[in-house]
Amino acid sequence: MRFSFIPSLLVTAVGIASAASSWGFEDATLSVQGKGAGVGGGVKEKLSADAPLSQDVPFGASDTLKIILTTTEGKNAKRPHQAFLTLTEQKTGLEESYAFSVKESGKGKVELTHKDLPFQLLTSSSPLKASLVIASFGSSTPYKRHVFDLTIKLDPNVPIWVPDEPVRYGKREEIHHIFRSDPTSPPKIITLVFTAAVVAALPALFGVWLTLGANVNHLQKALGAAPVSHALFFGSIVALEGIFFMYYTRWNLFQTLPPAVAVGVVAFLSGSRALSEVQERRLAGLR
Amino acid sequence: MRWLLSFLLLALLGAVQALSSSGSRLLVVIEELEEKEKYSQFWGDLKSRGFSLSFESPKNDKLSLFKHGERAYDHLILFPPKSKGLGPNLTPQILLDFINRDGNILLTLSGNSPTPAAISSLLLELDIHLPPDRNALVVDHFNFDSNSAAEKHDVLVLPPPQDLRPGVKNFCSVGGSIAVPRAVGQVLGNESPLLVPILRAPATAYSYNPKDEAEAVEEPFAVGQQLSLVSALQARNSARFTVLGSVEMLQDQWFNAKVETAGKETTTANREFAKQLSSWTFKELGVLKVGKLQHYLTEDGKKFNTSSLSVPEQNPRIYRIKNDVAFTIELSEYVEDHLQPFLPPADDDLQLEFTMLSPFHRLALKPISTTENATVFATSFTLPDQHGIFNFRVNYKRPFMTNVDEKRQVTVRHIAHDEWPRSWEISGAWVWIGGVWVTVLGWLAFVGVWLYCEPMDRKAGVKKTQ
Repeated sequence: MRFSFIPSLLVTAVGIASAASSWGFEDATLSVQGKGAGVGGGVKEKLSADAPLSQDVPFGASDTLKIILTTTEGKNAKRPHQAFLTLTEQKTGLEESYAFSVKESGKGKVELTHKDLPFQLLTSSSPLKASLVIASFGSSTPYKRHVFDLTIKLDPNVPIWVPDEPVRYGKREEIHHIFRSDPTSPPKIITLVFTAAVVAALPALFGVWLTLGANVNHLQKALGAAPVSHALFFGSIVALEGIFFMYYTRWNLFQTLPPAVAVGVVAFLSGSRALSEVQERRLAGLR
Repeated sequence: MRWLLSFLLLALLGAVQALSSSGSRLLVVIEELEEKEKYSQFWGDLKSRGFSLSFESPKNDKLSLFKHGERAYDHLILFPPKSKGLGPNLTPQILLDFINRDGNILLTLSGNSPTPAAISSLLLELDIHLPPDRNALVVDHFNFDSNSAAEKHDVLVLPPPQDLRPGVKNFCSVGGSIAVPRAVGQVLGNESPLLVPILRAPATAYSYNPKDEAEAVEEPFAVGQQLSLVSALQARNSARFTVLGSVEMLQDQWFNAKVETAGKETTTANREFAKQLSSWTFKELGVLKVGKLQHYLTEDGKKFNTSSLSVPEQNPRIYRIKNDVAFTIELSEYVEDHLQPFLPPADDDLQLEFTMLSPFHRLALKPISTTENATVFATSFTLPDQHGIFNFRVNYKRPFMTNVDEKRQVTVRHIAHDEWPRSWEISGAWVWIGGVWVTVLGWLAFVGVWLYCEPMDRKAGVKKTQ
């Protein structure tokens, strides 16, 4: 009990009081070298444990990113149990960590190429946040800080294979599928203009007939000569139109045919009489 | 007599109270029965919620999950065995059978005892990956309890789990931090929608083998949030399987324990977390029940006929294309011991699909009213312009909720010959209808004129004969 309790108390006190027993690093260099670039080519930056680099680090498709550092506990170089470079995709919060290979002396190294990055990080539209995590067992304060931003430069000629998004249960987008849209009519005003033109043709026709001398002056004469057949004949023609009207609005074919036949017989019988009367008028020179 | 009856009723009520929606027979498989004393509060909580617990050792030959071909237990808690495996009565095949027959399993792991290969392979079947080192456990040098693990950093103190993503209910958001001692981290496969992490490790955590001599971790199994400390699988039949990375979480000593992290002392909410986790696993939470489902014509202009909600389901079998149709469905959610009206979380919707092979309409169902223990969801729409056999389908599958997949088949017929709109209703036809009337009237007038016209003079007569 004494062992575990007192030292831990002491250690927390010390940890808060001084920075002596906190993890950190020094002599850190970051280099990004392209394939074939000679010594001195590419980017080379010194990393600071206290502040992130002010500029983004570009990371091309054939480049190798390399970080060399010496991990320290307090002022002494020492090997920690955990020395990670963590890359974070800023929009989604996805992270991937790469462990440094650290020697006894605290000298650590990590190397990255595009192949080591998962596609989610490679296809990120914003720069990746790179932080260093240096920590170990015991009471020393662990270190975790954002040290630089990494901008991925993709090779436009080499497409990245992005797998299909895996199925996740959730709300799906709405569907309102229409097979055929409804038929539409032209604007009513156009229809009305043409309807008016068609309807106006009837008075125009009557007008023309009147100017040519059309009249119904023989009506009295005809009704006097053959009143029944003329009334029936003209009536049956009007009735036939009426039957057609009923067929249009209400009746079906079987309701329409019997009256049509009946009216047709009447029209035939009365028509022969009525038309003979018309013929008589013509023979009498009245037509 | 009456007092006896009321007494009986009371007793019945007591027995019915606080039960899981899928039965109360709970089997705990624990190798050393003395061990179970450490978990007395957890057992007490389970008993108070109406579970009848039986404890068995995996070494017991008579132990069987099935009896006469039926499940002998409704739920199962598996403790990490001290020996090599769980024995011949609890093979991965039998456990999968148990899940297939709607049994729920809470599988616990521990960093203190190596995970048997049988369990790793069972989990691998389910696309849950354990570290290849059998002794691996999760450490975090940032979020550990400095009271109990100042040196080893293997007791993690975590904030309560965040929402998985918008639109997913979170049953384990307890009001306090959670202590996770010596956990075995899991990595979940990305392909399955059935797998969900309940509690993830913090960003700086990693999994390592304490028996490993190496002083630095070079190739960790998994790091940060990719490690899941508690994960869940809900099978297609809605049976639940939970993997708890750290069995010690359930011990009395971690229920409401005092922990200290980064100089701040807090009390753990492990008891609440254990309650929520076991409630979810044993189907006391997140169970959906479909009540009445109705669809009907709304031609008379009335949108939803809420008046007839108490009559039984009587749905038409046939509709016509382009009919206006309303659809209502009642859904309730089981919470601990009763059904209550279900409401989907914000950012989520219950959706109705109108399908013929594939959906032609997918519409959000909106809650319009609630009954005593159900919410009535409804929508209305115009049927598509295509005849055939269609289904009204509500397919509501969400993490942590039991699956709902309801279908009602209807025939959609085409328009009969006398159901089309009449010609005068179509404005484009007016010109032609006008033409017909002009012809009719003109014909009648012509007949009259032809029969009864008196020629004014010879010339006119000549003209007419032309």
